[in-house]
Amino acid sequence: MAASDAPLPENGPTRQAFWNRPWVAPLLVFVLVLASWELLVMIFQPPTFLLPSPSLIWQSLAGQFLALMGYGFNTFMEALGGFVIGCGLGLLTAMLVARSKWLSDLLLPFAIASNSVPIVAMAPIAIVWFGIGPWSKVAIVAVMCFFPTMVSTVRGLTSASPDAIALMNSYAASNWQIFTKLRVPSALPFVFNALKICTAVSMIGAIVAEFFGGAVNYLGIYIKTQASILKTPDAWAAIVVACFYGLAFYFAIVLLERWLMPWHRHREQH
Amino acid sequence: MAESVTSAGELDTTGHSPRRWLWLLLGYLVAFGLIAVVWEGSKALFAIPDYKLPHLAQIAEAFFRPTPKGPTWLILIQDALYTAFEAFVGFTIGSVSGFLIAALFQRYVHVRRGFMPYVIASQTVPIIAVAPMIVVGTGSLGAPPWLSKSIIAAYLTFFPVVINVLRGLESVDRDALLLMRSYAATDNQIFRLLRLPASVPYLFTALKIAATASIIGAIIGELPVGSTRGIGVQIVVGSQYNTFNPGFLWATIIVAALLGMIAYGMVALAERRIVRWKRPES
Repeated sequence: MAASDAPLPENGPTRQAFWNRPWVAPLLVFVLVLASWELLVMIFQPPTFLLPSPSLIWQSLAGQFLALMGYGFNTFMEALGGFVIGCGLGLLTAMLVARSKWLSDLLLPFAIASNSVPIVAMAPIAIVWFGIGPWSKVAIVAVMCFFPTMVSTVRGLTSASPDAIALMNSYAASNWQIFTKLRVPSALPFVFNALKICTAVSMIGAIVAEFFGGAVNYLGIYIKTQASILKTPDAWAAIVVACFYGLAFYFAIVLLERWLMPWHRHREQH
Repeated sequence: MAESVTSAGELDTTGHSPRRWLWLLLGYLVAFGLIAVVWEGSKALFAIPDYKLPHLAQIAEAFFRPTPKGPTWLILIQDALYTAFEAFVGFTIGSVSGFLIAALFQRYVHVRRGFMPYVIASQTVPIIAVAPMIVVGTGSLGAPPWLSKSIIAAYLTFFPVVINVLRGLESVDRDALLLMRSYAATDNQIFRLLRLPASVPYLFTALKIAATASIIGAIIGELPVGSTRGIGVQIVVGSQYNTFNPGFLWATIIVAALLGMIAYGMVALAERRIVRWKRPES
């Protein structure tokens, strides 16, 4: 920014600086949206099952907080199980596939095309195969996580610059050394991009797969049931919990990324 | 698309020579043959019952089974078209409003600062769980049944479009921007002549994601009890009657998968026609 010679402000942050802090505007929006939501509900009084007020959702959340967190945990465990299996298999497959150009040319189009397939719609088949319990959800999440992880990892493993590979070859580096010292580090940003996408995919996959059926102490089934008996505030409270788990999962992966790739933090774009 | 997956030193002719196509075609044929062999082989080997894994012939037969309203494949296509209609309405609403919001965010920094974190957070959060409430809510208001599905599809389309279009609008060349400023171009002129063209490749990246997402949204919207038309309804019916007609569930899911791929393919085709100057990576 070439502003190193600019004088530092002497009296601490000014009024202008306060409004420019990154959390001020979002916080303002949050408060304004909640307040106007509450106000609009108060004025127009739509039926509660249609649009409950934030305070009503809050009451529902506070009233059954532990139960909802428990349901959320059950759903999160499905998501996590599918995430670990799907991303793990995706990584392994990618390592095998990336070794052969013919194989990756053959398989990548299928893997990319799978992006356009509504995989959650296959939940009924997963239920037939793995039962109505959590394993059918784990299976769906695993399939949903597999393809993006595999595609990104293959791209990452093949993204090392040919010059660097040639250099390592000229120093008689073994294939294993090239893999661990060059290909893996250059693949990590791609891998973590996929993993971050998969956190969201896995929570969504688990909840939507639960819409097809399952036990009551899971978020997706709870939401569907409460919505169908018009207990909308309960369903909204469950969604707040789902968002909490989704965000926590996402930031856990971000932390892992910072820990494994300390050099990458300074280069992040946004 | 055609990224070179080169190993060191190998010359990559990015893929239009007839010989390469022939090899790929052969690969696909072998792959499909393998799938069929593995499918029927494991069925015979592990004695997998029909309700878990029907014979491929049973799936084909399910397509042609006659119903009072015509052959099954015709019914499934009609339902798929209905779902496609719901998804298309939502896709259009979501992408137009997403584009407008992105333009607004680009112009007014303060608005953007306040709302953008939520647009980004919405990508990491399973808000799609509101789907049953939208369906129940709009249903009780007496809205046409397709509307709730279109709203869900629009919701899934909206966020990727905002994020990508904003990125595209900001992706303009700095020198070009300075040049236009130095000629005293107005904000509107800069938008029309510089930012808009720059955003189009990014828009299509988002639209490809959104094409499939809108189909998924419409299908999810068809799951709650009370829906009567659409491929999502057929999937639910298929899972209920799976033991009687094991091919049918697979038939419905194959149609849903094809629907997603066709939606994606249509956007990809439009992209090839329209974006000739820059191919973004998919």
